[in-house]
Amino acid sequence: MNDRYASATTSPSFNPWPAAIFVCLTVLAVLFLAPTIGVLLSSLKTTQDIALGKLWSLPTSLYLDNFATVLTNPAIHTYLLNTLLIAVPATAGSIALGILSGYVFAKLPFRGSDILFLAIVAGMFFPPQVILIPLFRLFNGLGLLDTLWPMIFVHIAMGIPICTLMMRNFFATVPAALREAAIIEGASEWQVLSKVALPLSLPALAVLSTLQFTWIWNDFLWPLIFTQSDDKRTIMLGLVFLQGQYSVAWGIQGALSLVASLPTLIVFLFFQRYFIKGMTMGAVKG
Amino acid sequence: MSTLILKNIHKSFGAVDIIRGVDLDIRSGEFVVFVGPSGCGKSTLLRMISGLETTSSGTISIRDRDVTHVPPAKRGIAMVFQSYALFPHMSVADNITFGLRLQHAGKEEIARKLTEIADILHLTPLLDRRPKQLSGGQRQRVAIGRAIVRNPAVFLFDEPLSNLDAELRVSMRVEIAKLHRRIGATMIYVTHDQTEAMTLADKIIVMRSGKIEQAGTPDALYADPDNLFVAGFIGSPRMNFLGGILEADGQVRLDCGATFRSGILPAPTTPSAPITLGIRPEHFTGTDEAGGTVDVRVDMVENLGGTRFVYGTLKSGQAVIVEDRSESALRDGASISAGFPARKALLFDAEGRRIRSSDTANAMAAQ
Repeated sequence: MNDRYASATTSPSFNPWPAAIFVCLTVLAVLFLAPTIGVLLSSLKTTQDIALGKLWSLPTSLYLDNFATVLTNPAIHTYLLNTLLIAVPATAGSIALGILSGYVFAKLPFRGSDILFLAIVAGMFFPPQVILIPLFRLFNGLGLLDTLWPMIFVHIAMGIPICTLMMRNFFATVPAALREAAIIEGASEWQVLSKVALPLSLPALAVLSTLQFTWIWNDFLWPLIFTQSDDKRTIMLGLVFLQGQYSVAWGIQGALSLVASLPTLIVFLFFQRYFIKGMTMGAVKG
Repeated sequence: MSTLILKNIHKSFGAVDIIRGVDLDIRSGEFVVFVGPSGCGKSTLLRMISGLETTSSGTISIRDRDVTHVPPAKRGIAMVFQSYALFPHMSVADNITFGLRLQHAGKEEIARKLTEIADILHLTPLLDRRPKQLSGGQRQRVAIGRAIVRNPAVFLFDEPLSNLDAELRVSMRVEIAKLHRRIGATMIYVTHDQTEAMTLADKIIVMRSGKIEQAGTPDALYADPDNLFVAGFIGSPRMNFLGGILEADGQVRLDCGATFRSGILPAPTTPSAPITLGIRPEHFTGTDEAGGTVDVRVDMVENLGGTRFVYGTLKSGQAVIVEDRSESALRDGASISAGFPARKALLFDAEGRRIRSSDTANAMAAQ
C-alpha cells in the first residue's frame, strides 16, 4: 500500500486505481446516506412544505415542531421503553448463551461436538416465518401473548446460532497455551473463561452486541405477531401505527424514525472503541 | 530424596502409543533435560507430569504423593511454555501474581513475593507494562517469574528458548542455569537442542519413540553412550559411524580397509560379527597413537577460527567429519591421514547396541 503511494508520487505515470476506488466509495457512501438525509430533511419541514413535493430541498426554516411532537408524546415513551425492555435482556441473554456454548465448542470439544455445532449454526438459515404459527400457539398456550416475554425469548433463541458461531470462532483464536497456563496456575474452567478468554474477546463482544441490539431493536415481525394492545408495542410498530387513517404525517414520521434509530447509533458509538485489533498481541510469539 | 517418580507410564491416543513404559526417578534439586527428535514423546511426557495430558496407565508421584489423577493446579508444579503464554490483557505484575490471586493470597504476601521475584529476574522497571511492550527475552523472564512465584515442587520447561534468536538463547540459557543454582529447585526441561541439554542438565534423558534410550549425566552420555541413537544424538558435529567387522581375535576391520585392535572380543558364537565403529570428530588425532588410521579425501573445510572441521570421504565412500587443530594448509580434494586411539573408538553391534570392553562389563557387573 505504502509502496503504491510512494510510486504514485515519485513516478510521473498516473495510477488510476486509487482515484477509481475513491469515486466508487464516494458513490456508495452517497447512495447509503441518501435515505437518511431525506428523512432528516423531511423531519425538519412542515407538512405544508412536504405536501408541495419539495422532498430534497432545504427546509424554508428550521422547523423543530415534529421532534417536539414526537418527544412529548407519552405513547412514544412507552414504545421506547418497551423496546429497551426487550432489546437489553435479549441481547445480553443471547450473547451470554453464545459465550458459554462458543467456549465449549472452541476449547472443550467432545465426541459429536462438531455435528452439534453445525446443527446450532444451521438454525441461522431457518426463516422466522416457518416457526411463526407454532410460536404463536405456544405463547398463546402459555398465556404470554400481549406481553414482552415472547419477544425476549424468541430473540434470545434466534440469537444463539450467530452468537455461538462468532464466539466459538473468536475463542478458537485464543491460544490453547493461555488456557493451559491459567489451569496450571489454578484457574477453573469458569475462571479461564471469565479472567482470560472473555477479556480478550472484547472486540468480538462489541461486534456481537451492536449486531444483536440493532437487529432486536429494529425488529418488526415478532412484536406485530405477539402484541395487540398499544401499551405493549415497540417503537417500530409505533412508527407504523403513528400514521393517520387518511394521511401520513411525513414530518412526524421522519422525526420519529430518527429518534428510533438513535439508540442503535449510541450502542455503536459506545462499543466502537472496543473495535480494536491486536488484543492477543504479545500473548504468544508474534 | 526423590521429588518425582514415574512408574511404567503409558500414554496412547486411540491405537497410537505415544509413551511406552517410562520409569524415572528425579531427585530433589536436579536439573533434568528430556531430549530427543521431534515426535519422540518428550513434550507429551512433560504434559503428563503437568497434568495437562491424562495418563493411560502407570503412576506419577510428586514428593511421595500419587498425583496421577490429580488436577494440574494441585500437583505442586509450574510450567513455562514455549510460546510464553502470558495473559496479554494483564500487566507484568498481574501476570506474575495471577496464581497467587486465584488462591486468594493476602495482599501483603502478594506484594512481597512480587518484589522478590521482580528483583531476581530484573523485572522491577517493567512491572506495569503489558506483554506486547516487552522483548522476547523479557517475556520469557515474566513467564519464568509466574512459575517461580508459587514456589512449586517441580518446574516444567517446555522448549522455553526455541522462540528466541540465537544470541538471546545463549544468554537465557545462562540465566536459567543461574536461576537453578540460586533457588535450587527441581527442574525438568524439554528441548530438541542437544547443546541446551549438554550445558544445562545434571541428568539428560534421551528419548526416542516414547521410550527412554538412556539416562545419565551429560558426560556419561557423551563418552559412554549405550547405543547408536544416543551416540549420534549427543554431540555436535555428530559422531562418525564407520561400518566394519569384529574378528574373533578382537581385530576390527573397517570397510575402508583400515584395521586396529579393539581390545574387545566378540561373543564366541558370532566370530566376525558386523559392527559399527563410532568415533567423534575431535578424537581424530595424528597418526602416532595406538589405534586405527583412516585415509580421508577432503571435500570441504569448515573453519571456525579456533578449530576447523574437515568434511571428507573415506575410500569406502562413507562420509566422515574430522576435527583438525593443526594449522597446516588444507585444500579441497587433498588427502589426509586421520588416526584415532583405540580407547576412544566405540563399537556397536548390528542392532545398534554398544559392545563394551570386558573391563567395562566387569566393572558394571561389580556395581
